[in-house]
Amino acid sequence: MSTRSAAMKLARESIVIAVAGVVCGLLANWVSPRGLALGRDYFGPLSPPAAGSRGSKSPAAPAAAPSAVQDASPAGKRSKRGFTLASHDQVAALFRDPGRAEQRIVFIDARDDAHYAAGHIPGACQLDHYRLDRYIADVLGASQLAERIVVYCNGGNCEDSELASQDLVALGVPESKLLIYAGGITEWKQHGMPVETGARGIGKSPTP
Amino acid sequence: MKPIHRHVVAIARVALGALFIYLGAVKAYDPVGFLKLVRQFDVLHAPSSLNFVAAVLPWFEIFCGVFLVVGIKARAAALLQLLLLIGFTVLVALRAAAIYRAGGTPFCSIRFDCGCGTGEVLICFKFVENTALMLLSAMVVVAGGGGATAGKQP
Repeated sequence: MSTRSAAMKLARESIVIAVAGVVCGLLANWVSPRGLALGRDYFGPLSPPAAGSRGSKSPAAPAAAPSAVQDASPAGKRSKRGFTLASHDQVAALFRDPGRAEQRIVFIDARDDAHYAAGHIPGACQLDHYRLDRYIADVLGASQLAERIVVYCNGGNCEDSELASQDLVALGVPESKLLIYAGGITEWKQHGMPVETGARGIGKSPTP
Repeated sequence: MKPIHRHVVAIARVALGALFIYLGAVKAYDPVGFLKLVRQFDVLHAPSSLNFVAAVLPWFEIFCGVFLVVGIKARAAALLQLLLLIGFTVLVALRAAAIYRAGGTPFCSIRFDCGCGTGEVLICFKFVENTALMLLSAMVVVAGGGGATAGKQP
């Protein structure tokens, strides 16, 4: 067989294998429980939440005695997607606030199962933006009742806390309730703060 | 082809195939993680194309790896892997160059997770690694799969 025809044969075989490989990949993705939804925009636009969902910058006054819920509404920096960023001190104050035990303050961990189970802020709910349907039903109820919601992921360049916050806003949770813990679980651990390990604890009473 | 050369090619083929199966499996196990890595290259912007690459590429690697390990249509599978490696290496180089221009970090000190399935690596090491893989893939393309049919014209 001439070199040219050998090359043509190789090219044809490569095309066949490439097409078969793509089909195999699509099938595997479809079948896999970890598969991606091909049509979904997982990362959303880099635009602030709609004006109508923002509400007022200050949280609604709680019926209970004044607490850190009212005080920790920083008019400070905003994230890329327009959410209010919270410092470690602000988040720690919310963690210690009696409102957390009363579910008026809710912490949401925006990471996947493995990272959540490895260690999360005690009492934090889990909301994996990429597997939203698994978590949203439980988290949405707590979010709608809460006065303040702290959403975090790893910190640094992690966008998952903002993406999870966008999901909550899209489902009707007022943006004014939401705080993004910019430093994330990484900063939390660096400050020696308590960490809880194990499976999802949606709605569980937080450990003191 | 001399027997020793056939064996060398066969070993290279099987080793390449096993490696691609492993690297593909690592990515297929965490498609969301791979999706984030693909996105950071800032080449694909449409969600559907991002998702398509992140969903399909790991399985495509495994698919080609199986052909290499089994030794069926190994030259074609090796050619596809070679083309992928060339593309990946170019993308990694571009991203490393962007990081270098942005921060001034010494080029060979730059490290990031390139989405290859090996986690964060030093970029210069990645170039050496990819060059070796490209050479091995090219050897399989040129010499055939090794074994009894090595060197025979198709």
